Amino acid sequence: MVSLLLGSIPVGFLGALTGLGGASILIPILVSMGIPVKEAIACGMASIIATSSGSAVSYVRERIANVRVAMFLEMFTTVGAIAGATITTMISPLFLYFFFAAFLASSFLKSKGTVSESATSSEWPDGVSRWLNLQGSYFDEAHGKRIDYKVSHPLLGGGGMLLAGLAAGMLGIGAGAFKVTVQENILKLPPKVSSTTSNFIIGMTALAGTSVYLYSGFLNLTLMGPMAVGTTIGAFLGGRVLNKLGNRTLRVLFFLIVIFLIVQMIYKGVRSL
Amino acid sequence: MIYSDRNASESKLSLAISYLLTAGVLTSLILMAVGILLFYFQFGNLAISEKKVMFLQEKNFFYFLYDLLKGGNSQEKSLWIMTLGIAVLILTPFARVILSVVYFFLEKDFKFSLITLWVLLILTLSLATH
Repeated sequence: MVSLLLGSIPVGFLGALTGLGGASILIPILVSMGIPVKEAIACGMASIIATSSGSAVSYVRERIANVRVAMFLEMFTTVGAIAGATITTMISPLFLYFFFAAFLASSFLKSKGTVSESATSSEWPDGVSRWLNLQGSYFDEAHGKRIDYKVSHPLLGGGGMLLAGLAAGMLGIGAGAFKVTVQENILKLPPKVSSTTSNFIIGMTALAGTSVYLYSGFLNLTLMGPMAVGTTIGAFLGGRVLNKLGNRTLRVLFFLIVIFLIVQMIYKGVRSL
Repeated sequence: MIYSDRNASESKLSLAISYLLTAGVLTSLILMAVGILLFYFQFGNLAISEKKVMFLQEKNFFYFLYDLLKGGNSQEKSLWIMTLGIAVLILTPFARVILSVVYFFLEKDFKFSLITLWVLLILTLSLATH
């Protein structure tokens, strides 16, 4: 447990730096160490409640995260997560190795496309978005000014979030990269609002998933205690240095880690065929 | 400006949420860390165990909570404290939804009262049934 706790710190650190999240990195590592995959997934899901809620605190207080958009999208992610976690408890572990690898691969899509830094969206909000008063504003320190933005296609975004929740619940991860992609491309949230809002939503999504794993008997105390403590400390430290690192360093790091994890999961999957 | 009015009133909610999350996560992490320490003193090792007592399996979270607070079925103190940490962790976002429902209701924002109530309903059902 000590090694798991200490090992979880750098994992949480890397997870925060690359935006993958600690659980996406830790689950394949645990699996390669011989921990049953469903157990690793259940404990990953529970530990995400801690990392996400912990790191959401400062964004919410500084009001970068859009709390209204977050709560609107949680309607969809929680349902998705419960469905996803239920599927995981029922299917053969074999599928999970390959789903996990495939989902990790999909995170390349996000990192390849250059995120436009144009902070103001020209899109006009549609009916639903105006009806729910979803538009917002935040103070951008890099630009030194307040930025107003509107939110487009909330219902389509909700559909995307249902999928994100499904993947998160199935695989025990936050699916942050996927959520950010949906929020930036469909809802047209500015990048900073998008990543912080996604972080806020992940905590609730993880709770929904955990509620399923709680009674399915995959939550191992000796596994999840150290995992939660370690990754949260790591994520906290990672959040501190994130802005000090260059984008290229982060890209390379991201690429290497994802490749390593995909190979790991596929190897495990093929071996158990 | 409609935006800034809304933001001003909503900053109260944001602040309350951030305090709630901080308190919940810190309490839970401290409990789990203390539990791990006690585990070490009790068993003399910290190996990851596949023994059945290490697994949480409950039919219903609220029953589980009641049982836990009673001191319930866990014989080992270290495991009990770790389990308590997990219960606090689970309750943290749950309390956040309750807080939001109350806030939007008091603000007479009924659309968002319904939205947050829906999330609360889903979570409660998922925690309470099965």
